[in-house]
Amino acid sequence: MASAALRLGIASKGRLMDQTGDYFSAHGLTLKRLGHERGYHGAIEGLDDIEVAYLSASEIAKHLQLGRIHLGVTGEDLIRENMADADERCHFLARLGFGQADVVVAVPECWIDVANVADLEEAAAIFHRQHGRRLRVATKFMNLTRRFFAEKGFASYRIVESLGATEGTPAAQTADIIVDITTTGTTLGANHLKVLEDGVMLRSEACLVASRVADWSAQNQAAEQRLAERLLA
Amino acid sequence: MAAESVMRFEALAEQAKGIMAIFGRAGYEHVAPAVLQPADIFLDQIGEAIRSRTYVFTDPDGQELCLRPDLTIPTCRIYLERNPRANREARYAYNGPAFRFQHGKPDALRPREFRQAGIESFGVADREQAEAEILALVQEAVRGAGLRGFVLRLGDLGLLHALLEALPIPKRWRRRLAASFWRPDSFHTTLRRLATPASPIADASVAALTRELDPDDREGAEQRVGAYMEAGQLTFIGARTLGEITERLLAIAADMRARPLAAEVVQTIESYLTIVGSPEAAARDISKLASEAGIDLGAALDRYSRRLQCFRKAGAGLQHAHFAADFGRQFEYYSGFVFQIEMPGQGVAGQIAGGGRYDGLIASMGAPVDVPAVGSAIHTERLLAAREGA
Repeated sequence: MASAALRLGIASKGRLMDQTGDYFSAHGLTLKRLGHERGYHGAIEGLDDIEVAYLSASEIAKHLQLGRIHLGVTGEDLIRENMADADERCHFLARLGFGQADVVVAVPECWIDVANVADLEEAAAIFHRQHGRRLRVATKFMNLTRRFFAEKGFASYRIVESLGATEGTPAAQTADIIVDITTTGTTLGANHLKVLEDGVMLRSEACLVASRVADWSAQNQAAEQRLAERLLA
Repeated sequence: MAAESVMRFEALAEQAKGIMAIFGRAGYEHVAPAVLQPADIFLDQIGEAIRSRTYVFTDPDGQELCLRPDLTIPTCRIYLERNPRANREARYAYNGPAFRFQHGKPDALRPREFRQAGIESFGVADREQAEAEILALVQEAVRGAGLRGFVLRLGDLGLLHALLEALPIPKRWRRRLAASFWRPDSFHTTLRRLATPASPIADASVAALTRELDPDDREGAEQRVGAYMEAGQLTFIGARTLGEITERLLAIAADMRARPLAAEVVQTIESYLTIVGSPEAAARDISKLASEAGIDLGAALDRYSRRLQCFRKAGAGLQHAHFAADFGRQFEYYSGFVFQIEMPGQGVAGQIAGGGRYDGLIASMGAPVDVPAVGSAIHTERLLAAREGA
């Protein structure tokens, strides 16, 4: 590694970046970008032994997984989606109280016979006999979905990867049900979908996360401690 | 592993040559299915669980492809391609790489790239005979390669289906139990749930609607459900039809009225699943269980006994065979006889070969009729390692 400094991953754009910046400010810390305004390297004023890496929210999860950054601020949903063994590779230091989003299973409202995941299994069995295929689940959370349904004992489904406008897929019949994030449920309702009773997979929010597989020199541990003292005060 | 040593590569090639010669002499035609396969077929037949252990990717045309995780389904595709009407017997043999993602570090016994040598027999109407042929041939192949001291684990999903058929269980519950058999936890949850009174529908208005539906008047029931949705201004979207939703509500209504599964029925199923022992002793235990439960497993038990006779005649050694009633839960597509050749006490590394009957698979892949099918594959790296360890 060229640099031995403690590396902190921060979202490089969008609401998550703004809210992270606000959170740092509220704790008396100022994030600044180095070089030009859209550069990807930064620093924290007054904490010279920390390098800030501006990354996309899901890249932060991948970099934590590989130990390329020591710390990161990103949504728990993205960490758990990108890492099957998140608790082995990472340590969730704190939930930061912003970026709340629930990852939920939603089905058409007109499925009045389906209230929970167990109902889904039985509806899927009838569906398979009628249509000769499994129920299709549109989602970008392929791993979370697979783990959740495996725990619940639901197997008769196929995932259709969906990277945008997921909530419109049942009406368009490109999928039958969805797994997506929701904050208020308004978008789901507008698309004639309802959340299953036991269909909340994860109540996610932004977290400060440490990589267990990064190189933790004594100097980095000290830097992490100084940062955590300020951030979590 | 970046590469294999020359010695290992040559030893595997040599071993495969011997295995394929045995398969060839027995009339199995050598086929070479494509390494790249459409992901669809595997996801449909085996389910999403396979994604976590298969290399699935999207090609530049947006098609989902995978590196084949085993060679059975690719070989079925060859059979279907050559016999679209699925009305002919065929016997195929193959040897080639298969690919599986390994969580954590892949090692010599859980490689992510390994070679499978196997045989598949399609369309042979005499099922027990075909099963004996496969079992004897695979044993001959591993023995020919030099494997000694292996044991045979046997199972029979046909017996389980016969047991569920014979017990007093409503058809829709039987279907549910059969569908969850290959997921043991889910099977036991379903069994326990059916043994307790059905819990009422939480939504009061849906519960009221469900109570009013007349099971003998499908059309009327469907109209009522449609009217309910209209009154509630529920927009109808998706591929599920009003008929399907009605069918399921009627099933819920029937569950509410039905008496829960009797404790003796649950007990019989659970006792059955604990049966283990030599193939002959297991047969005796199964008949005893059936007569105690007052049910007739006649035809399925006859097939079981006939299969053992066929095995003996075909020279498939049964002196180290062990039957387990709950064996056969690894793949949803197995439908009857299942087996595994194991080196005792070696865990996964000792699982040298496995196989079984999968009669529904070819039809669900698009054949116009069900095709009797049975096959087996040898994990050739494990076979080599087990021989070297011996």
